[in-house]
Amino acid sequence: MSETTTIDDLASTATPPALEVDELRVSYTVRGVDREVLRGVSFRIAPGEAYGLVGESGCGKSTTAYAALRYMPKNGKITSGRVLVNNNDVVNMSTRELQHFRATEASMIYQDPVQALNPTLKIGKQITECFTILGHSKSEAADLALAGLKQVHIAAPSSVMERYPHQLSGGMLQRVVIAMGLAKDPRLLVLDEPTTGLDATVEAEVLDLVRELRRESDAAVLLIAHNLGVIRTMCDRVGVMYAGKMVEEATADTLFSAPKHPYTIGLLNAIPRLGLRKTDRALATIPGNMPPIGADLPACVYESRCPIVTNLCRTVRPPVVELPNGQWTRCHHSDKLDEIVELEAAVPVHEISSEQVVQLNQISKTFRQRNNDVPALVSVDLGFAEGETLGLVGESGSGKSTLAKTMLGVYGPDDDGGTITLDGRPMKAKATDRRNEAIQAIQMVFQNPDSALNRAWTVRRILRRTVTQLTDIKGADADKRVSEIAEAMRLSERHLDMRPRQLSGGLKQRVAIARAFAGDPRVVVCDEPTSALDVSVQAAILNLLATLQRDEKTSYLFITHDIGVVRYLADRIAVMYVGRIMERGFTDDVFNGPVHPYTEALLSAVPAIDGTSRSYSTDG
Amino acid sequence: MSSPETNNLEGPVSADVQKKEKPITERSIARQENWRLIRRKPGFIIGAVISAIWLACGIFPNQIAPFDPLDYRVDNNQSPSWTNLFGTDRGGRDVFSRVIAGATDVLKIAPLAALLGVMGGVILGMFMGYLRGRFDTVASRIVESFLSLPVVLLGLLAVTTLGNSNWVVIGVVATLFTPVVARTVRAAVLAERELDYVTSAKLRGEPGWFIMFREILPNITGPIIVELTVRIGYAVFTVATLSFLGAGPPPPSPDWGSQVSDSYNSLISGYWWSTFFPAMAIASLVIAVNLIADSVQSVLDGQ
Repeated sequence: MSETTTIDDLASTATPPALEVDELRVSYTVRGVDREVLRGVSFRIAPGEAYGLVGESGCGKSTTAYAALRYMPKNGKITSGRVLVNNNDVVNMSTRELQHFRATEASMIYQDPVQALNPTLKIGKQITECFTILGHSKSEAADLALAGLKQVHIAAPSSVMERYPHQLSGGMLQRVVIAMGLAKDPRLLVLDEPTTGLDATVEAEVLDLVRELRRESDAAVLLIAHNLGVIRTMCDRVGVMYAGKMVEEATADTLFSAPKHPYTIGLLNAIPRLGLRKTDRALATIPGNMPPIGADLPACVYESRCPIVTNLCRTVRPPVVELPNGQWTRCHHSDKLDEIVELEAAVPVHEISSEQVVQLNQISKTFRQRNNDVPALVSVDLGFAEGETLGLVGESGSGKSTLAKTMLGVYGPDDDGGTITLDGRPMKAKATDRRNEAIQAIQMVFQNPDSALNRAWTVRRILRRTVTQLTDIKGADADKRVSEIAEAMRLSERHLDMRPRQLSGGLKQRVAIARAFAGDPRVVVCDEPTSALDVSVQAAILNLLATLQRDEKTSYLFITHDIGVVRYLADRIAVMYVGRIMERGFTDDVFNGPVHPYTEALLSAVPAIDGTSRSYSTDG
Repeated sequence: MSSPETNNLEGPVSADVQKKEKPITERSIARQENWRLIRRKPGFIIGAVISAIWLACGIFPNQIAPFDPLDYRVDNNQSPSWTNLFGTDRGGRDVFSRVIAGATDVLKIAPLAALLGVMGGVILGMFMGYLRGRFDTVASRIVESFLSLPVVLLGLLAVTTLGNSNWVVIGVVATLFTPVVARTVRAAVLAERELDYVTSAKLRGEPGWFIMFREILPNITGPIIVELTVRIGYAVFTVATLSFLGAGPPPPSPDWGSQVSDSYNSLISGYWWSTFFPAMAIASLVIAVNLIADSVQSVLDGQ
């Protein structure tokens, strides 16, 4: 792409970089002790360049982004280093200078547009304000606001101006926030997970918009995203962070095709991509944990998890190895990366029996809202064979969750003759009316383990209650069963006596899976079970689900918007749109030649890590 | 999956940089931490000291009070002096001794009334929030109509109908508090019942009472504790108000409210002390309890 700027261009140009971060160190004070979060981070972004930061949660990428505008939590401070935005020294500004700087030079766009907007003010007022602050008169500002909304492709800007935030969709709101961020024509635009809460197709539109705006304005972009596909398609250069340090930097194309740091390689191997299936191999995981913030670091920060670690890595700080194409890596052994082998062990193919365990026949569900009938499911037919994974994809609002909850008996379906059967026998509509056997048969893994696990209960109590409630195992046998389940989920005995908030995200999701499996279910509904997790943790969870299915012959209804994940795990795929199943078929068939145009649009909207193509759109 | 995978699970909890607080390793440590934070608050210390003084007065009135609070032997309407620190009232009783003895009744009645009121409110609010639907609609309207009635009027009505014993006062105050607490608890339950752990409990066929009192209740203890401390303060005030109006604990108990009502007529004659000191006693205890309640609330809400 023509706007790609490499380090070489940067050196030759006389204009100052849009952002220059130099040996930045940031500490958070926790319980009176200073803990270092950023341990000397350096990078530059040229004007008009898009730079991405990637790494597991806790690596310091968000802290870096916030520090660029000197947004610090109360207990955080920049201990040393420089941050220059367009040659303005951000670290040493007075409060007044900082305010002026934030008002004129740089914008930040957060993950949740709902929180960035005032729910009590009309959109128009909030945008107009952005311009009046810059010194425009009221009428000028109103015109500019209208133009701003047009710029972010809002179809009817004057009517949107008159609406309140709750009347707009998430994608619309994020556009409004972007329009507000662009009001000052910033030199630097910081985007922190801008599309994380959005649907695949909406995400694609917002990303297209940001890309287009960059061409027009030459603002530099600093993008934080946990979705590597987004980084891949949006950024010119990418920095990989680990434990508060930058370990590798390269152009996006190079980084994803020829990574030179073992950590980057580990991250990329953990992602199901290039059409990988569970029958090909298990996903590679990164063993161990990132050192917590403030911990004493070994010579090489990645030493404890690196597959090609040697004694050298423990004693000598690795040098920065620069390559001619501008890529650099902080590794002693960048010449021995071939020795990293991807995990071989495949999940053996298991027979999917033709016997249908649970079947939905002509199920409809209509919600009544203020005397309007809103159909959420329209005559859905769906069946699960024993040991089969059915991937369910579609935008939010397409009825995926409603389908799952109707099957589980949270909602009763419409009373129009539709039935849900277990082993051919019809089940009652509501879970509370179902026989024990039917309750036991279908369980669920929720998206957010923080919500799904009772905060006041220990892990042991959560699991034990499920065992005694759903099975006939009681007393000491139940304790034994809890220990067995915990072991199968690779939870250790000491985790059992902890409460959920003491566990990391990956462990919490394991507990949630353990609970779903504790009652020996026939079908488990997985509602986006890995979307809140880091890719390395996601890989471990997906491996676990695949092994459990092989051993227990459980069927999965796997709801996700991550096409790579669904392709990896699912045997069959069903595509939903406005309450209807549009297409259904074996995973390979659907991916090799989707029949329905909607499926095609959905698949092409996903920012892919593979290949080099950067233009995609949902119009086609 | 081999041993390194297992290692993934060991070690401390993820260090999410966004979270400022380090995850707490044990529940008891969390409690200790809260206690440490509370003790640091000047409001809590002042409130605790005043409450402790009144508690001592309430438990050992005879040891602390220099005179018998019911004894009429001293000259009446004496201004404060070294013998009678707060002077004497129109019956010639020592005001200082009566104020000290008055602590006993209020400290017996107010916390018990608040506790019962909060318990009632928790149960009612739990059902309203969890069941929603028709029960909630009806109960909410009743609660609202209850709240719109003047507290004093209801109290007076009940006490005049049922007679005034300490138990009636406790019952009246508890009943008055139940709807207020119920509203707070209902709001907390409404937020909790949307969480997936409640759905999950339903999916394993748990009965409603189990979900309400075993699953949800432990998660809303914070607001309930705050509500309890706040209500104790209100209870002191309500008990004093009722006894000022003659509907409090039966005479001849040296209750603060009845002391004020006994002697405020003599204010005009310049005998301010027999009204002023019991009134100050009420104010100091209410303020002390509210200071404690504020500190508890700010710590439980995370400052």
